[in-house]
This record gives sequence, structure tokens and C-alpha cells, in this order.
Amino acid sequence: MRKMKSVSSPRGGEVRVGSPLSAVCLCVILMLTSFVMARDVALTAGEVVEKANQAAYYAAKDGLADVAMTITDASGNVRKREFRVLRFTMPNGKDQKFYVYFTSPADVRRMAYLVWKNVDTDDDRWLWLPALSLVKRIAPGDKRSSFVGSDFVYEDVSGRGINEDKHELIEQTEESYVLKSTPRNEAAVEFSYYSIVIDAKTFLPRKAEYYDKNGKLYRRVEAKKVDIIEGHPTVTESVASDLKSGSKTVNKFKNIKYDVGLTERIFSERFLRRPPREAAR
Amino acid sequence: MKFLLTDFSLKRPWWILGFVVILTGILAAQFPRVTFDNDPENMLSKDEHVRMFHHRVKQKFNLYDFVIVGIVNEKHADGVFNVGTLGRIHDLTGQLLQLRRTEEGLLSTIRSAAQSGERLVLDLTPDSRWQRGLNVAFRHDPNGLFDSEGTSAIIGRELISPSVVDSIQQAEFGSLKLEYLMEQPPGTREEALAIRENAMSNPLYRGTLVSEDEKAICVYIPITEKTFSYNVAALVKALTHDWPQDDQVYITGLPVAEDTFGVEMLVQMATSAPLAGLAIFVLLLIFFRRLSLIIAPMIVAVVSVVCTMGLLIGLGFDVHIMSSMIAIFLMPIAVADSVHILSEFFDVYSRFETKRDAVRHVMGHLFTPMLYTSLTTIAGFASLGLTPIPPVRVFGLHVAFGVGLAWVLTMTLIPAYIMLFVSDRALSKVAPTHVMGIGESPVVRKGTLMGGLEWLGGVSYRYWRIVLAVTVLVMGLSVYGISKIRVNDNPVKWFTSSHPIRVADEVLNAHFGGTYTAYLTFEAARAEASTCAEKARAIGDAAKKRFGRVMPAATAEFLAVLESHKQLYANVTSSDLRKCFLSLVNAATEIDDRAFASWNALADEINYLEADGLTHERLLDAIGAVEAATDRDRKILITRLQEARRLVGLELLEYALKICDEFTALSFREFAFEMQAELTAPLFKQPVILRYVEALQQHLSANAVVGKSSSAVDALKKAAYELSYVAPPADAERDERNGYDKRNRDQFAVPDTVSAVAQVFTQLEGMKKKDSLFHLVTKDYQEANVWVQLKSGDNRDMEAVVRDVRTYMLSHPPPVELNVGWAGLTYLNVVWQDKMVKGMLSSLISSFIVVLVMMAVLFRSPVYGLLSMIPLSVTIALIYGLIGLVGKDYDMPVAVLSALTLGLSVDFSIHFLQRARELQKQTGSWQEASRQMFKEPAMAISRNAITISIGFTPLLLAPLVPYRTVGFFLATIMAVSWAATLFILPALITALERFLFRSMDKMPEEAQLK
Repeated sequence: MRKMKSVSSPRGGEVRVGSPLSAVCLCVILMLTSFVMARDVALTAGEVVEKANQAAYYAAKDGLADVAMTITDASGNVRKREFRVLRFTMPNGKDQKFYVYFTSPADVRRMAYLVWKNVDTDDDRWLWLPALSLVKRIAPGDKRSSFVGSDFVYEDVSGRGINEDKHELIEQTEESYVLKSTPRNEAAVEFSYYSIVIDAKTFLPRKAEYYDKNGKLYRRVEAKKVDIIEGHPTVTESVASDLKSGSKTVNKFKNIKYDVGLTERIFSERFLRRPPREAAR
Repeated sequence: MKFLLTDFSLKRPWWILGFVVILTGILAAQFPRVTFDNDPENMLSKDEHVRMFHHRVKQKFNLYDFVIVGIVNEKHADGVFNVGTLGRIHDLTGQLLQLRRTEEGLLSTIRSAAQSGERLVLDLTPDSRWQRGLNVAFRHDPNGLFDSEGTSAIIGRELISPSVVDSIQQAEFGSLKLEYLMEQPPGTREEALAIRENAMSNPLYRGTLVSEDEKAICVYIPITEKTFSYNVAALVKALTHDWPQDDQVYITGLPVAEDTFGVEMLVQMATSAPLAGLAIFVLLLIFFRRLSLIIAPMIVAVVSVVCTMGLLIGLGFDVHIMSSMIAIFLMPIAVADSVHILSEFFDVYSRFETKRDAVRHVMGHLFTPMLYTSLTTIAGFASLGLTPIPPVRVFGLHVAFGVGLAWVLTMTLIPAYIMLFVSDRALSKVAPTHVMGIGESPVVRKGTLMGGLEWLGGVSYRYWRIVLAVTVLVMGLSVYGISKIRVNDNPVKWFTSSHPIRVADEVLNAHFGGTYTAYLTFEAARAEASTCAEKARAIGDAAKKRFGRVMPAATAEFLAVLESHKQLYANVTSSDLRKCFLSLVNAATEIDDRAFASWNALADEINYLEADGLTHERLLDAIGAVEAATDRDRKILITRLQEARRLVGLELLEYALKICDEFTALSFREFAFEMQAELTAPLFKQPVILRYVEALQQHLSANAVVGKSSSAVDALKKAAYELSYVAPPADAERDERNGYDKRNRDQFAVPDTVSAVAQVFTQLEGMKKKDSLFHLVTKDYQEANVWVQLKSGDNRDMEAVVRDVRTYMLSHPPPVELNVGWAGLTYLNVVWQDKMVKGMLSSLISSFIVVLVMMAVLFRSPVYGLLSMIPLSVTIALIYGLIGLVGKDYDMPVAVLSALTLGLSVDFSIHFLQRARELQKQTGSWQEASRQMFKEPAMAISRNAITISIGFTPLLLAPLVPYRTVGFFLATIMAVSWAATLFILPALITALERFLFRSMDKMPEEAQLK
């Protein structure tokens, strides 16, 4: 095990880093990246972050997957949700669009979320509640709120800007890089820093641990299972744990497909009201 | 037999002394192991049903005990919603959330939310040396705010403060903003008022988080254990001490009240007991005027107290509110017997040559009455052991032990002490003055006391008819008073009205919905309400209604499928229900594929068209190219599109899709899913049930005690309103604007379908503060919790609310049979109080019977037994009659007093009757005997009554009401039973003279007490 000096990221670029959360979250599986082999050349923290971002988010041009989400609280109460996620990367290679379509339980069937991840500005978000025939736009600014009551947060979907944290490379081994990321604006988030373990071969983030303002570990997000799908290393099971409340959310991904030929058009309000066939069928 | 102990003590005084020292040493050594328990919840035993239910509810809904901090600003025009105050509340929130423990065991937190880098170190150790000393003695760490693993006592994620509660509000471009109510402290007045606007429009916060008069904000600090609440309150005081005068900070809540009571109780223990000791000491000094003599009873008292407390601690019991009073109870009782002995000893010493003979004489004389008075006192206290309330049981049994020990000590230590430390010379000086009743001032006073007593005796003898008539009258009045007794308690009222907790309680309950919390919970009484056949019928009816007219053929097909499912799954359990619906959905999908394939294909094709630059022609081309569409449907669509010739682009596309919707909306598949949602919905996703809860809450709001109630229904309505809110256009006319307002207002309601309810709830599940909805409903939506805020913590008020709900639910039966349960500290108090009242009654009755039997045995006569019970019966009746008449609540301390009154006040009867019989026998005439009775015997009784009364008076100075109550009532009990004994007994004896003494004449010699 070779210890590296802490190197803070010199990169001030605009590319978003797949936060540990994002890495394991729903969208992760939709990403394609070339299978990066571990190199002997030492990477800077910035380069590792950059590669992880690519691995976690910017895989193939588009993709989709069915997600079975299981939320288990400390007393063992279980809530299950099933939804399909569509992902589309914009031609600029930075911005992305997500379509989340619920299929189960029956009472939230056909409910849908639309997220436009804008790297340079705030994200856009819409909500479709079929039982109320209602499309509602959600104002930006709450990316750290829970995603449909799970232990994942919205930022897990849209990603966390590379500039929002300072990254230090804490440790490097044959298998992984360990980074410590400290937010530049501490008041905007509930954590004081997080550490993230990135796979040295696939550059997929494998584990992220969040520490609260008192320096206590309170949240963990892990990629429990990674499979190669259509040539891309893909997270097929991820877990988010709220260590304070004892709640845990498991996402299992199935029917993963890359490069299905989605059009940008379906990521629009019109398709919230009438779901695209890629989501509904 | 009765000289056994005394002779041994006279012979081997050093042994006795040594033994007492060793015993005291061993038991005193237990003191450092002391643990305290201030939790009134422990008035109920751990496995008590309601307590277990309370904890289940707390666990199920993630509820915690709160320290409530109210910030009130009456001076500022905008009340508490000004930039300065809100900023301070924001800082306080940050400080509470970021509390840490320093290496030195002190506390550290941020200076303010803006300067989170800078840290503030706090030390909550009180300034007063006395307080610090007490903290050390009672092992209370004023900075103890962390558990053994270093976790803060404050549960940060559950904190309720404007800075960390969710807010749903409209933002620009018709979007919805989901963030904390006060994400950032306001910089301007406008921002401050915007926060006010948002808070006031949220039914969950109005009256809970912010007061309706906009003058106050409450911060609710959830704590892991109630016992942290005193320190949390101290922390808040320390963090807000430099706030400007206009921002008044009040701290309240039952946990704080209870915990503060516990801490102040320790102070009481440390002051009242020594003060009681001092008062008794001074009194004895006045009576006997010889320090060396009265030290003995003091030693008896102290040793009894130390040993009893040592035993309690050694046995592993916590010192509870009740047991903290042990010392105060024991002290006066323990000296009582010694006072009798000394009193008697002085009177007779001059007649004997030696101390030894004098002691033997006195003991021979007093052994039996002392034994019986002790036994009756023990019986009175021990009867508390029969109550269902653990701390009261511990208290009663330990005081009983203490009284027993005091008796043994009186029998042994007093003689030993007289032998060892009292010189004959000293005695020869004191005794004569005492007996003669002449000389210096204290003796003169005694002389007047005796003179008064003699006159009294004359009155009772001569005017016995009047005395008895007055007694009967008093009894009648007492019975009336007892019928008016109001059973009530409220731990907050255990503090005097000027105590900060009482003040805070009053102020905050005036501003808010109430600081007393009760939880009203609902669940289905039976698991499954409707059968499979019923469900199938419901589906069939709905299908006919929706599809029957438009597509009769497909409907018939669907109904056939439904029928076959009904037969197949006729006896399903709920786990198979999902399978049943899945199969139904599959069948429905097949029907859809046949019936709607064409329209689906058309809609799908149109949906995917590029809207920009879409023309009518291009649309028709696209329609023509849909292979899966039938010519008939294509024709319908094209004909209908004629009306939209002038539309282009997105408008045209939407128009075409709307036509398709008319057909595609008729999907059997979606219908099946919809039915599944409707028919398998958990209880609290069903609109009809939610509306029932809504109506019940509405009813409750009319109850004067209920300040507010909050439920998942309130959250649901608010979210439904905000989600479907449509802002009127900027240039809208007044009428149009009103139309929008009305439309929006109508949305502030429970949505009409299960799916709509579920989808709005899903939004609430995914808020910034995760799971806050689940304080009000369980995650499976099968159980709901209504948080009821009461303006009063009085048990009778809580009971009235419980009754109100019961009556309402009887007259308005819920749509589904519901199990109703109550929890919350306010409710728990009601339950243990109820047990207390009943328990005390049974212990009173049982000790009455025990004492009666003892008296009958003691006097070898049931008649005398009954007679001896009369003064105490009159006393108890009068005391409780007075409580009823005056309107004082029958609360915990009053309840405890009932049983021990009996044990204490029977003592006087024993002494009186026993001496009366002796004197009657000696003098042969009751008239003469009664005159003698009102000399020394009455004197001894009076001295005893005064000693005990005075001994309890320091309690009157206590800042805690239960102590005052006990002090006042014990003094009153002494006075009344003294009067009852000295008036009623002689009057009764006079009335029954012939009967009583004739029977005594017949008694065998040895039965007469000598």
C-alpha cells in the first residue's frame, strides 16, 4: 500500500464530479465509459475526480434501466418502489436529461419526474402527478432533499459540481483511490466533508462516507455490485444508509440498456403527461 | 419480656453504642452509590400497559420528548419576525446542532451560523458555591449533555426550528420551492415578513412553531432521555443570556418541568431535612432545656434516617420524588417515642434512686403503647406497599422500616445513652423545675399550656353533649366536602406560581396552541374490511359505469374475466391479493391490445412528432403512415381534426393528442391498476378515513383545552394546495382573481382518490427533512397519530379531552371500525394519578382494618378498638372535607398523606385511652381520672403533636408545592387529631362511661395494661 501526499485539486474546470452519491445512484448505471486500466502514472486528485465523473455519469450517449428501490427503516418497516430511469446526454457532452417513471406501487403508477441537469446553472425539475393531472415545476435549491422518501438525495441524481468541493487524494492502492472532499461553501450542505473510494480500474466510485459538522460519520453510499453491461462497468446494486436514523435504501438495477436511441424530445413536459414508449412499455 | 432489650442496654450500653455505630457506618457507606429518578413516568411500573403503549407509539412514530424554548417579542412592531430576532433564532439553532464536548468535559459550539469556524466554549457549572456543592454531592454533571458514546442528547435531525423545518411555497414561474422555512436568516424586513407569511400559511406550523399573534416562535428540542432536559434548559439559558431584553426566552415542557423538579428536589432534600432536624432540636431544647439529654433523640432520628436511606440505596432503588421525603417524614416520627420517654423520665426521676430504676419504670410504663404506636405507624406506611405505584411502595416500606428501627433504637440507644452520658447531677438540677412547672420563662409557658389543657379537660367532660354534637356536625360537613373533592394533578403546578417554569408555561400557553402534548392514535380494529367478492363487485360496478356505454363489447369481456377471477380467488388471503390483481391486469392488457391498439398507435405516433413547424398537412401524412391504426379510427381522427385547420405547431399537436386521449384514456389495464390502488389502499390513504380524521380535528378545535391538533391530513391538505396552486395572471381583473382564489382554496382539501392522496404523500416523503411526515402516520399508512396540543396539563383537562373524543366517535361512527389509543406524557399522568387515587383508597382501607385489629388486640376489647379509631377517622374526614371545600386539588402528595395520617394520628388515641384506663382504675372514678388525664398524659400528647407539627414546618418554605402541601397538611393533621383526641375521646368516654368501665371491670387482671 503506497501512501500519497495529499494533493488538492488544481482543477477548476466545469466538469461535474460524480459525487459518491451520484456514482451509486440510479443514473449511474446508465453511464458508459471506456474500460480504463490502472496506470502506473500517479494521477492528481483532480484527474481522479474527473475520471470518476466520466465513469459514473458520462457513459454511452443514452441508456435506461428498471430500478427496484427498497427502503428499510430502523424498525424493519419496508417500503418498495419501482421505476424506470431514462438518461440522455446532450450534444455538448456536459448537460444531461433524466426521465423517472414510476410503475409500482399501484397508487403512484405513472407518476414521473423530469430532471435537466445543467452543469453551468441550476438544474430544472418537473413533476407529473397523474391522479391530479398536474405538472408542477420544482424550483432549484434543494438538491440535498430526499429522493421520494429514500435515503438517496436528489443530488445523487443530478450530481455534485466538481467546483463545489476541494478534493484531496488521501491514499492510493492497487485497487482504489481514496479522496477527501471538503465543500467550499460549508453552510450550503449538511456535511463537513466526505471521503470517497474510487475503483482504480473502472474509476467507478465504490463507497462514499459523509461526516457531519461534528465530524461524525452519518451517511454512507456504496456500490454493492458492479457488472459489465454491454462492455461498460455498471453499478447494478447500490445502497444508501442513514447511520443516524438507521434507515437504509437498496437500489437494484435490471434491464439495463445502453445506446437505445432516445431522442431529446421525450424529456419534455409533453412527455410527462403522456409517457414515452421507452418508459411505459 | 418487655425489659429484655432495655435491661440489656442498661447492662451493656457500650455494646449498643458500638453496634449502632457499625450498622450506621455500613449503611452510610452505601450513599455514594445513590442514583436519582425524577421521572414521574416511573410512577407506573415498567410493564404497565399504558406505559408500554406510550413507548410503542413513540417508537412507531419516532416521537421524542421535547424541551420547548419559546422566544417572545412583544416590543417590535413585527413581533418576533424581525431581522434581529430571527437571526438569533437561526444562530441558536446552529449552536444546538453543532454542540460538541471538549476534552475538558466542557461544551463547545459555534459562535453564530455565519461564523461557524469560530467556536464558543461553555461551562454550565453554576456560580453559586452551594449549587456546585450539591451537584458534587448528587453527582449531577451540569455539562452532561452527551451519552457514553459521545452522542449529543439533542437529536439534531428531529429538531423543530424555523431554520430546519420543511416549507412548501410558491416560487417564480409557477414553480414550487421545497426548502427549509428559514433557509437563511433574513437580511431585510421584507425577507423577515416573507418567512412569517410562509410560516403562518402552514397549518402544521401556525400555533405550534409560530404563535397566531405572530409575537412568538417555539423551538422544540428533542432529547434522547428526559433526564437531559434540565441541562438542555441550562444550555439554552447560557446561549441566550446576552440576547436583548425585548427577546424574552421561556423554557418549558413537561420533561423540563419534571427534570427541574427532580434537581430542585435534591436541593430540598439537602435543606428541608436538616431544617426539620434543627426545628425539632430547638423545640426539644425549649421543652427539656438540657443539651446533653436531647442529643439522644436527635441521634435516634439521624441514625434512623441514615440507615433507611442507606438501605434504600444499598438495595438498588432510585431516589424518587417520593423517597426524597423519607428523611422529612422519619425525623419527627423517630423522635416522638424518645420524647415520650424523656418526658416521663423527667417526671419520675426524682422518685427513684438511680437512673436505672427510673428508666426501668418508664420503659415498663411505656413499652406497650410505644410498641403499638410504632406498629400502627408502620402499618400506615407499610400499607402504601399495596399501592400499584412502585415509588410509593418503596417509600412506604422504607419509612415503615425506619419507624421500626427508630423504635428499636428508642428501646436500646436511649437507655444506653442515659446510662453513659447523663450525669445524675445534671438530672437532679433539671427534674424538679420541670415537674413543678415554676421558674423561668419556658416553664411558665409550659405552665400555661398545662393550665389550658386542664381547662380543656373540664370542657370535654362537662359539655360532652355539645362536643359530640359539634363532632357530628363537623363530620356531616366533611362528608359533603369529600363529595366535592376534585382529583387533579399537573407536574408543572408542582412549582410555585413565581417559578420560571410556571411563568414560561403561562406565557407560552397564552401565545401558542399549548405546550402539553398528547398523542391520539388510530388503527384499524380489524385487518381486512371487505371480502374478495365485495371487491369484485366494486370493480364490476365501476367498470360498467366507466366503459359500459362507450364500449359494451370490451366491457362484457372484462366482466367475464372479472367473474372468473372472483371464483378463482374467492378465498384469498391478503397476500394473494397482489397476485389476483396482477392476473387481472394481464387479462385487461389483452383486452386493451384488442380494443385500443389502433388508438394507442395513433397517439404514440403523434406524441413523437416534432412540434416545431408542424402543419396540418404534415400531421395528416403522419396519421396516414401509422400501420397499426384501423381505417375507421384514422377517419374519426382526421374528421375531428377538421376543426383545427388553423392550428400549427405544439397547439395542433396537443389538439390531436386530446382527441386520442378520449379513447386511450379508456384503458382496462390502467383501470385495473386504479382499482388495485383504490381497493387495497391502506387506511390512511383512503380519502373517506382522512376526512373523518379531519372532521374529528375540527370538532376538537372547539374544545377550550385543545389549542391545536396536527395530523397527516393537515400536511396532506397543505401539500395538495401548494402543488395545485395556480397563480392568477398579473393583469387579472378582480373577478378573475377571485375565481382563481376560490379555485386554489378548494384545493386545500383531502384529494378525492387514493392515488391522488398517495402521490401527494409521496411528495411529502421526499422533503428536505426526511421522514417528518412519519411522525403523523406510519410508513405503511395503516396507523395515524394526531398530535394534540393542550393549553393545560391538568389531568382533569386531559381527561375531559379523552371523554370528548370518545363521545364524538360514538355519535359519529368512523367509516371503518377504529382502535383509538392515547399516549404522551400528559396522558400518562392521568393514568398514574388514577391508579394513585384508587391505590391510596385501598391502602387506606386496608391500613384502617389492620390498625383496628391492632387496637382491639391492644385493648383486649373491640369496643375500645373502635373508640380509638374515632379521632383519626374524624381527622381524616375533616382534612379531606377541607380539601374538597377549599377546592384544593387532590393530587399526588395529598393522596400519599391519607394512608399515613392514619398511622400517625392513632398514636394519640393509644396513649390517651391507655392512660385513661389506668387512671380510672387507680382513681375509681372517671371524673377524677379525666382530671388527671389532662395533666401529664395530655401534656405528653401535646408535646408530641407540637414536635411533629413544628418538625414539618420547614417544608412550608420549600419552593416546590408538593413539599409545602405535605408540610401544611401534616401540621394540620397533628393539630386536628390532637384536638379530636382531647375533645372527642373524653366526651365519648363520658357518654359511654358505664358501658366502657363496666366491661373493663370484668376483664381479667393480666389483660389490663400495666
